[in-house]
Amino acid sequence: MTHSWMESPAPIDESTMRVGMYEEELKKFNWSLIILEIVLFGVGLMNLYSATGVQDKSLGLYKQQLIWFGIGMAITLLTLLVHYSLLSRVAYVIYFANLLLLVAVLVAGKATLGAKRWIGFGSFRVQPSEFMKLSLVICLAKYFENDRTVGGLGFKDLLIPALLAALPAGLIMLQPDLGTALIILLTFGTLMLFLKLRPRVILTLAVCAVVALPVVYQFGLKPYQRQRIVSFLDPMADPKGSGYNSIQSMIAVGSGQLVGKGYRKGTQSQLNFLPEHHTDFIFSVFSEEWGFVGCIILVGLYLAFMLNGMSVAYQSHDKFGILLALGIMTIFFWHIFINMGMVMGLLPIVGVPLPFMSYGGSSLMTSVVCVAILTNIANKKFMF
Amino acid sequence: MAFLGQEEQIREFQDRFRYLYAIVFIALGILVSRMVFLQILQGDRMREWSEKNRIKRVKVAAPRGMIFDRNKTLLIDNRPAFDLEIIPQYLRESKQTQQVVARLSKLIHMPEAEILEILERARSQPSFMPVKIKTDLTRDEVAKVESWRIDMPGVEVRQEIKRTNVYGEIASHLLGYIGEINSSELPLVNKGAIKYELGDSIGKFGLEQRLENVLRGIDGEELKEVDALGRIKLDKSKGRVRGIMENKPAVPGKNLVLTLDQDLQTAANKAFGEHIGSMVAIDPRNGEILAMLSRPSFDPTEFSRGISPALWNKLLTNPNHPLRDKTLQDHYSPGSTFKIITAIAGLEEGVIDEKTTFNCTGNMRFGNRTYHCWSKHGHGNMNVVSAITQSCDVFFYKIAQKLKSVDQIAKWSMLLGLGRKTGIDLAREVPGLIPTEEWKRKRFNQPWNDGETLSVAIGQSFVLTTALQLANAYAAIANGGTLYKPHIVKQVETYEGQVIQETKPEILSRIDFPARDIALVKQGLWGVTNTPHGTAFRSGLAGMDFVGKTGTAQTIRLNPDKLYGKCETWKFSERHNALFVGFAPQENPVIAVAVIGEHGCHGSTTAAPIAQAVVKTYLQKYFPDLYGEKALAARLKNRKAGLPEPGPRKRVNEEEDIVPENNERLPPAAEPPPALPSRAFGAESAEE
Repeated sequence: MTHSWMESPAPIDESTMRVGMYEEELKKFNWSLIILEIVLFGVGLMNLYSATGVQDKSLGLYKQQLIWFGIGMAITLLTLLVHYSLLSRVAYVIYFANLLLLVAVLVAGKATLGAKRWIGFGSFRVQPSEFMKLSLVICLAKYFENDRTVGGLGFKDLLIPALLAALPAGLIMLQPDLGTALIILLTFGTLMLFLKLRPRVILTLAVCAVVALPVVYQFGLKPYQRQRIVSFLDPMADPKGSGYNSIQSMIAVGSGQLVGKGYRKGTQSQLNFLPEHHTDFIFSVFSEEWGFVGCIILVGLYLAFMLNGMSVAYQSHDKFGILLALGIMTIFFWHIFINMGMVMGLLPIVGVPLPFMSYGGSSLMTSVVCVAILTNIANKKFMF
Repeated sequence: MAFLGQEEQIREFQDRFRYLYAIVFIALGILVSRMVFLQILQGDRMREWSEKNRIKRVKVAAPRGMIFDRNKTLLIDNRPAFDLEIIPQYLRESKQTQQVVARLSKLIHMPEAEILEILERARSQPSFMPVKIKTDLTRDEVAKVESWRIDMPGVEVRQEIKRTNVYGEIASHLLGYIGEINSSELPLVNKGAIKYELGDSIGKFGLEQRLENVLRGIDGEELKEVDALGRIKLDKSKGRVRGIMENKPAVPGKNLVLTLDQDLQTAANKAFGEHIGSMVAIDPRNGEILAMLSRPSFDPTEFSRGISPALWNKLLTNPNHPLRDKTLQDHYSPGSTFKIITAIAGLEEGVIDEKTTFNCTGNMRFGNRTYHCWSKHGHGNMNVVSAITQSCDVFFYKIAQKLKSVDQIAKWSMLLGLGRKTGIDLAREVPGLIPTEEWKRKRFNQPWNDGETLSVAIGQSFVLTTALQLANAYAAIANGGTLYKPHIVKQVETYEGQVIQETKPEILSRIDFPARDIALVKQGLWGVTNTPHGTAFRSGLAGMDFVGKTGTAQTIRLNPDKLYGKCETWKFSERHNALFVGFAPQENPVIAVAVIGEHGCHGSTTAAPIAQAVVKTYLQKYFPDLYGEKALAARLKNRKAGLPEPGPRKRVNEEEDIVPENNERLPPAAEPPPALPSRAFGAESAEE
């Protein structure tokens, strides 16, 4: 690994320096993530245009998405003006403010489909649980920034971080929003594993998980959530009821075959057989219309995006930056994997959006801000 | 912001990155393999499923064959009508069902509970199959339902062709009706090659039932693109879906051309007026049924559109049994119309000839019993011709007395097709009964009583015949001894009218009557309608070359003071049955007619005029040169010149040739069994 900051720049004269430094910086600026983000969003928007051409509640929502992205780009620009270490200073403020918002959702949130997930400011509605993922990552990065534990984390070391993750996860479960809570816990778990746990801890937790699983299944889940797991294991048991979404989604993906049915010609989505085809099931719309070839390209784009994001973490030279970038990439990873897995019938149905593809302002905004922070980390590595 | 030791920690972190990369590759690898599985390996199957999702097979009902009379007058037509259907598949939640049903109930004026009940009953069939909720929507209802359809997923209006009997009640027994198949019938009919679904129509009575396989077409299928709520999209499939499914055109059923003549049918119906009974007209040259009527009747169209329970009940409880085809489902004592059979038996068995005369004194002693003639004062000397003409009972008693056994009468009856099914192409024919000695032994375990032969000779006692048998027997006598199998279907045609099958006359038996014997019988029959002594002379049949025999059969056992009483004054159900059977013209006859008027009292006044109306209509329609009004007037003028005017009869108390019967046992009455919807239309009537 070469670290550019280690190489001393060639001496340059005063007059060219002001402009030159500026040019130099622009030349070295890491655009890759933003470019990938724009490409992914472009694919997503085009796909959303197809999915929201259906005569139902989603009609024309792609315009909304475009507006959100525009706002997101503006925020990206602002983010790039400050150093990401600023986040380290306000990490807990962000975390607790977000936590407060989650409480507010439960108290005064707007309910749709039986779940309270949104909080409104006039006609403007946001989903604080989406932001919480990022807030938690910032908070955890801050928490472990100065950690010097050797030989892995023990139970005592885990107590406070676990609490930090469990609090929002619990609040989100109350909405209820199993998918987001799951993402939060998975992100937390991944980060902890990365920070290294003591073997004893891993073993104990594994045993606990095995024991707790049936208990949680029986008492921790709502009936509809249990139903989803049952129908995941055997979707054909009730193909018109609880298994319907899963089956229709798999049919959509599979019927795309090699090259797809053609843009805006996906019968499963255009004729409304797919439920939630503009949000959680957006990937089935894409794969139906673009087939295996399209899917491979999309997976390729996500892979490039993740590799780039991970190299940002890898190349970062301070612990906060590494943990922050890694945390962000963990969020992306789990979203992509769980969403695609669910759409293709590999995983039970949980409400997890696909980054840059699914419709949803808060989700998109979070993704865009995440990319902005990553870019910030990538480009501030030589600045102190 | 770096701390001491952080660099080492960072380096340690960087070592762990390879695990992360590995996880990412493995995870995406899993996703890609799933894509390979779903899109490449299972792709064809998934594509087929998605096509089946969006493509709905819409049944295209095949038009049922039409039915024409012999002159191609349309008797049963197909008329478009609108039905409302629900496809239960699209009503996934009960709340949604309730909303749809509630709205529908207002739009089509039908109680919610009734709609829900229909849906509940259809639960056994696959949910993608439409359930018929209401038939025959009005235009207004159709418009309303269509305008609300976007809010009523799964609700559809289907255009269907409805069966209509053009002439209503006339010939309804013969033509029959169709009805919706019910779930109990379904497994039975689906044993055959042609499959039915709930909601399909099937012939339930008459020709519609008998020739179901001919009349029914093969339903087609149209492929329509639908959305998840079952709303049909503009057809983009163009009938082909990647070779998986294809449009299937409906194949219409075949048309029937009957031997029936609608004009005769109408004439008979008009002549029947309020009378109850039946009429059959046959062409003696080939056994074609020219007209066939049973009264009272019903409107078959009511049935094909779904009969109301109230109307159904009314038909069932009507004491005159409008649902029975009295031409072949009921048998009656033939009464005096049977006498020519006895005459033939006498002539052929050699016990009488044209010179044989018997003296009729008004009664005859046989054994220890007196057998009366219908004429109290007797007919005097009778030969076979005058005995037929005046229907002298004593003459036929004498024949019976001279015959060795009742079996000799039975033999000739059977040869003429009496007492057994004619084999006509209609369902539920009863055989009637011609008694023999063996039959009685088997039936009652009693020896034959010779006195009973006397009663048989005049068509009473056990003798039972249907109107169809009588007409056919007279037709055989008329043509000189050839008994045809009566048939009603002349041709089977394609829906477009191309003949594909023609019924050939079928001979059941050919009797070699000596021409002299047939001539004697015909002469006697001629006398009935053309001489003053004839029992039907006053009925005004002269001039049409129409010959025949009256008959009056008692329906209950009469006590002596009623024997010569006035029939019209009795209780309706106790009155005599009135019969007339005849043919025209006398030589080379072209039509034979049998009329049975239940409780009509007199063959000459009730039955004969109906027969005459049919014969007159027929002869004038098909032989206008010979029997047109002009020709007829000329003929009558000639005849009047040579024949005496019919004067009033001198003798009193001579109402008709009602037979005062002294038998102990009454013939098994022609009491029809109660008509039940399932039994009456499902199985043949039990045979004797």
